[in-house]
Amino acid sequence: MEFPTIFSVTENEIDLNDLLARITLTSTGAAAIFTGMVRGKTTRGDAHETGYLEYEAYIPMAEAKMKQVADEIRMKWPVVEGIAIVQRIGKLYPKTPTVLIACTAAHRDTGVFEAARYGIDRLKEIVPIWKKEVSPDGEFWVEGDYIPRAGE
Amino acid sequence: MNHVKLLFFATLRDRAGTKAMELDIPAELTIQGLKDKISNEYPNLRESMSSVLITINREYAFDDALIPPDAELAMFPPVSGG
Repeated sequence: MEFPTIFSVTENEIDLNDLLARITLTSTGAAAIFTGMVRGKTTRGDAHETGYLEYEAYIPMAEAKMKQVADEIRMKWPVVEGIAIVQRIGKLYPKTPTVLIACTAAHRDTGVFEAARYGIDRLKEIVPIWKKEVSPDGEFWVEGDYIPRAGE
Repeated sequence: MNHVKLLFFATLRDRAGTKAMELDIPAELTIQGLKDKISNEYPNLRESMSSVLITINREYAFDDALIPPDAELAMFPPVSGG
């Protein structure tokens, strides 16, 4: 049987309950969910406040790379059942969820936590999405530091 | 000549002043050749060429890759999603 894999870039609100239901099978007993949100106040490192973040994506490539991340998760953790990878784009204000990675499995001790962690780490490396930070002091594009290698 | 489409995102779009352009490029042009061409013809983008990521048909491409006819190319900075 085919395990469900969901990947999307959307301007709509991320609906955790809906996504979770779609990756829960009768054999599922555990889900590890990571979600990130806009942080209004940063204290670690360069302390600053954020008015909002404006996200953009190269949508067709982003969805293809999300599929690739899901494929990599399945190679590393074949026990993972459902996978959902969703990035919200547009203008997003503090406290708003921006990204969700969820992996389901039969049991919690199967690597499902590590699978979700891997998913968010890889998304931040290879999926073509960018955010512009906007505050009363001005605006700037946030740039990552990962340079993909051949085949990624 | 090959006809290609070039998309820009994030800082590259701001500097280019456009989301996309169509280009006629020599057959057998490499990614390095494209960077040189863009540096010469678009001074606003010259500074970006040392750290830019480039894709060919939605896959990451490197300096010695040849650009095929009708390619969809994109230029952007290291990604920052999440």
